[in-house]
Amino acid sequence: MISKERKFWIYEIMNKIRYFELKALRLFEENKLRGSVHLYAGEEAVAAAVCSQLTDDDYITSTHRGHGHCIAKGAELDKAMAELMGKETGYCKGRSGSMHIADFTKGNLGANAIVGGGIPIATGAALAAKLQKNDKVAVSFFGDGASNEGTFHESLNLAAVWKLPIIFVCENNGFGISVPVAQSTSVENISDRAVGYGIPGVTIDGNDVFAVYEAFETAVKRAKSGDGPTLIECKTYRTLGHWTGDPQTYRDKKDVEMWRDTKDPIQLFKKRLVDAGDFTAAELDTVEEAAKAEADAAAEFAINSPNPDPADVMDDVFYEA
Amino acid sequence: MAEFIIMPKQGLQMTEGTIMEWLVGEGEEVIADAPLFEMETDKLTITIDASAGGTLLKIIHGAGAVVPITEPIAIIGEKGEDFSGLLNSIGAPAAPSVVAESVEPVQTEEASVGIAIVKAPRTGRVFASPRAKMLAEEKGIDVADIDGSGPEGLIIEKDVLDYVLNPAQKTAATPLARKVAELENIDINEIQGSGVRNKVLAEDVRSSASVSQTPIQLVQQLDEELIPIKGMRKIVAERMKQSLGEMAQANHRITVDMTNSVALREQYKAVGRKVSYNDIVLRCAAKALTEFPMMNSSWTSAGIVLKKYVNMGIAVAIEQGLIVPVIKNIHLKSLDQISKESSELATKAKENRLQPEDYSGGTFTVSNLGMFDIDGFTAIINPPEAGILAVGKLAKQPVVIGDEIVIRMMMQLSLTYDHRTVDGAPAAQFLKRIKELLENPMLLI
Amino acid sequence: MSKKTYATAIRDVIAEEMRRDENVFVMGEDIELLGGIFGCTRDLYKEFGTDRIRNTPISEAAMVGAGVGAACAGMRPIVELMYMDFTLVAADQIINQAAKTRYIFGGKAKIPLVIRGQQGIGRGNAATHSQSLETIFMHFPGIKVACPSNAADAAGLLRTAIRDDNPVMFFEHKALYASKFEVPDDPDFCVPFGKAEIKRTGKDVTIVGSLLYVSRALEAAAELEKIGIDAEVIDPRTMVPFDMDTIIESVKKTGKLVVVHEAHKVAGWGAEVVSEVVDGAFKYLDAAPIHLGAKACPLPFNIELENAVVPSVQQIVEAAKKVCYR
Repeated sequence: MISKERKFWIYEIMNKIRYFELKALRLFEENKLRGSVHLYAGEEAVAAAVCSQLTDDDYITSTHRGHGHCIAKGAELDKAMAELMGKETGYCKGRSGSMHIADFTKGNLGANAIVGGGIPIATGAALAAKLQKNDKVAVSFFGDGASNEGTFHESLNLAAVWKLPIIFVCENNGFGISVPVAQSTSVENISDRAVGYGIPGVTIDGNDVFAVYEAFETAVKRAKSGDGPTLIECKTYRTLGHWTGDPQTYRDKKDVEMWRDTKDPIQLFKKRLVDAGDFTAAELDTVEEAAKAEADAAAEFAINSPNPDPADVMDDVFYEA
Repeated sequence: MAEFIIMPKQGLQMTEGTIMEWLVGEGEEVIADAPLFEMETDKLTITIDASAGGTLLKIIHGAGAVVPITEPIAIIGEKGEDFSGLLNSIGAPAAPSVVAESVEPVQTEEASVGIAIVKAPRTGRVFASPRAKMLAEEKGIDVADIDGSGPEGLIIEKDVLDYVLNPAQKTAATPLARKVAELENIDINEIQGSGVRNKVLAEDVRSSASVSQTPIQLVQQLDEELIPIKGMRKIVAERMKQSLGEMAQANHRITVDMTNSVALREQYKAVGRKVSYNDIVLRCAAKALTEFPMMNSSWTSAGIVLKKYVNMGIAVAIEQGLIVPVIKNIHLKSLDQISKESSELATKAKENRLQPEDYSGGTFTVSNLGMFDIDGFTAIINPPEAGILAVGKLAKQPVVIGDEIVIRMMMQLSLTYDHRTVDGAPAAQFLKRIKELLENPMLLI
Repeated sequence: MSKKTYATAIRDVIAEEMRRDENVFVMGEDIELLGGIFGCTRDLYKEFGTDRIRNTPISEAAMVGAGVGAACAGMRPIVELMYMDFTLVAADQIINQAAKTRYIFGGKAKIPLVIRGQQGIGRGNAATHSQSLETIFMHFPGIKVACPSNAADAAGLLRTAIRDDNPVMFFEHKALYASKFEVPDDPDFCVPFGKAEIKRTGKDVTIVGSLLYVSRALEAAAELEKIGIDAEVIDPRTMVPFDMDTIIESVKKTGKLVVVHEAHKVAGWGAEVVSEVVDGAFKYLDAAPIHLGAKACPLPFNIELENAVVPSVQQIVEAAKKVCYR
């Protein structure tokens, strides 16, 4: 069971992510933000439910669609937005932008713009945890497309052979940019691939906070008990384009509307919370308003932040003692 | 030790030779005394044998290159031996001084490099390595005063250091110029240089050694063909010009009744021995020359040299031009011997097999154009000889003998003589004597 | 000092550093019971166990990526690649991940990762197992590149690499493993990165070579001495950082430069050296520098062919003579 406190946290994070993404979209449309910006709206249940069970000491690796994971792993919206705008105050001092965003100090080993690039890195973090016997776990978030990369298969095998404390969380949003999963992937459920590596694989509704939470809770227990990794496939949907400006010619507008209007993870979760009597709608509306205000403030902060000094461009290529 | 093979001087007149063909390729073994390359010189093609064995490391001048005598044309040494130093010592190795369209099919890739390209005159720009420039500047030396020993005359650090050590080396000269001066045994300090800041160039040394080496500028139009002046053509041109320029040439003509000479030839034929009319002319001219020594002399600055021997030159037309092989001591030889030798020399000439001794040392020349149906003609003396006999065609002619017109075998002789040496009357007597001998060949006995 | 082979020197340093720092561990193919195909981890599992001397599946991308992740998480992994040619299988993890992680996270990450293994000619391993790849990793900012040419440098550079908080590509040479050299016994003996070694002083020509080509350059120098050319031989020892200053100073003295490497000549690091020397010592040059490297041809199997592709001692001699106008 999820504690009331944790439910609130999850709801709050989901809203922060949502309004952060909508604000980022607006800033992009206003031409205040450049580069590749991949929005997570519609998939918030996964990041929030997973990260609600992690501490700052646990590790995640993220993807090119990484704002949600970053926020769920503890990032503040203002520094995250500043990074999206390439500002000196951003988490990565403007070196990273949207695609590599991370608050490294919170155990986030990075958004990773190479599809599948983060999976072995999370595996290595899990290896470190195992060697250090410190009870930490690692989570690798990746999409359906990454499950066709070699690193996915190598890492699942490696983690299984070494029984590493890692959870592979696949966010299957149905498309690799424009290509439907069925056209690119040999199995009906990506979790079926777990069989090939002798580990548990489950497919769940990624828009259902409770389903994600429970599946992940089981996987963490397994990881911490030394039994090794689990592959969780979260079926979800991105309600915005692959990137800001995606014409979305590859999918039916009705589908988008259906997911947005009837399967929105925030609305579904909100209804469950209200129905269960955990919180009133008004209480949750306050959370939503606060998230919206925080996102607006983050945009203000980012806009008003200085650009990094080109004189410092060579800093941090190497660590210098 | 790697060493140069040079363009060998073949006789006094030779100033340059054209390489016709390398008979040994780069990297191949050279066998001592075996043929190494063919060259076209003064008047003919000669096969040059290797003086020593080894490996032909580098062909500096390929087929078609015209190379002044004593200039390196190749490097011989041990297989794998480094010869870059040697190559550098002569400056630019790849570009021959003049490469013409070669008569022979091009044999090597290098040979195809330059088609009708002129010798590049040294430009005004002095090339020095950055280090040499820096050092020269430090020492307050103008690099243009320094000889470059690097590739293409590049001035390198060592040259500056050498210059600093030996400032007495006051004559600026290219390394090639020094090399040529050494080979020609000329003091380079006495040569006026024509290069930048009076630097002595190889050309200056060559002209100082009376070796003309005029840079040729070739300008070619589309509808014209330029034939480089080289080899035999060049020598013939120079000889003829020298001949007409230096001598006082005068000419006599006489018509000879050859009936008895024809009979003589028939008599020889009847006993199975073959002599030509020209052989009979040679024999008669030889005899006449012993009787008129001034016709067998040479005008020199020291005086008129009378020769007590007769070396008879026979002008032979060959594909490349004109060559005059010589029957030595013809005055001592029988008609049979003359016939044999003249035929051998003609054959050798046509096969380019004449050796320098075969065509040098002539004292008088006979030129016969009868076979071309020429009635008579004026020949130009082959210096330093004093005369030349031009022989026309032999033909039946109506001739008045007594009061009758009869048909006789007639032939025209034309004598060109050097009036400095021989006056008109003795020249006439000489020509008349030849006529007498030809009309009465029994006098030869 | 102890006389050790290059392979033993490497193994000893790994063991010493593992004793010194429990975060140091090794993963690679066949490194436990077999001790690595060149014996660089021979018997180490006995002391350190198979958690820290860890066999991996043949999954180079995952191995290297796990190295990056473990390094991010506080370990000091040494990833042994059986052949450095396999870096290409793991190229994304090296070039896009290890090299860039620190920079793209605004300097917050430390990646104390060593990727080591052997490369080069000498064993008839043919095209995909005989390449010299140090050049290509010099191109990507964020990774250090070390190339030890003898056992002492192997020990000193490897210790520096393991203690460095940056990713280090450590290129050993298969033909050097059996070569012996005096190695300091000091358990803290480090060779600093970015410090070239003048292997032989000379005044006439500077010859720069690394790995196998240090000994070949020295052989060439001995040949050159016979004809009165006094060559200075410099081993850069690390490619990143690269000690260009020592080379430029040497060229200022000699005025002539020959750079030789086993890596392909085209765009090989020798070209970078020539470029930097021309930039930094132009007026001191007495001859155009010569750059020698492997022909633009895959490394062939047959030994005669293999030798024909890489520069020979004789070619180094000839190049030195040429720049000396000899």
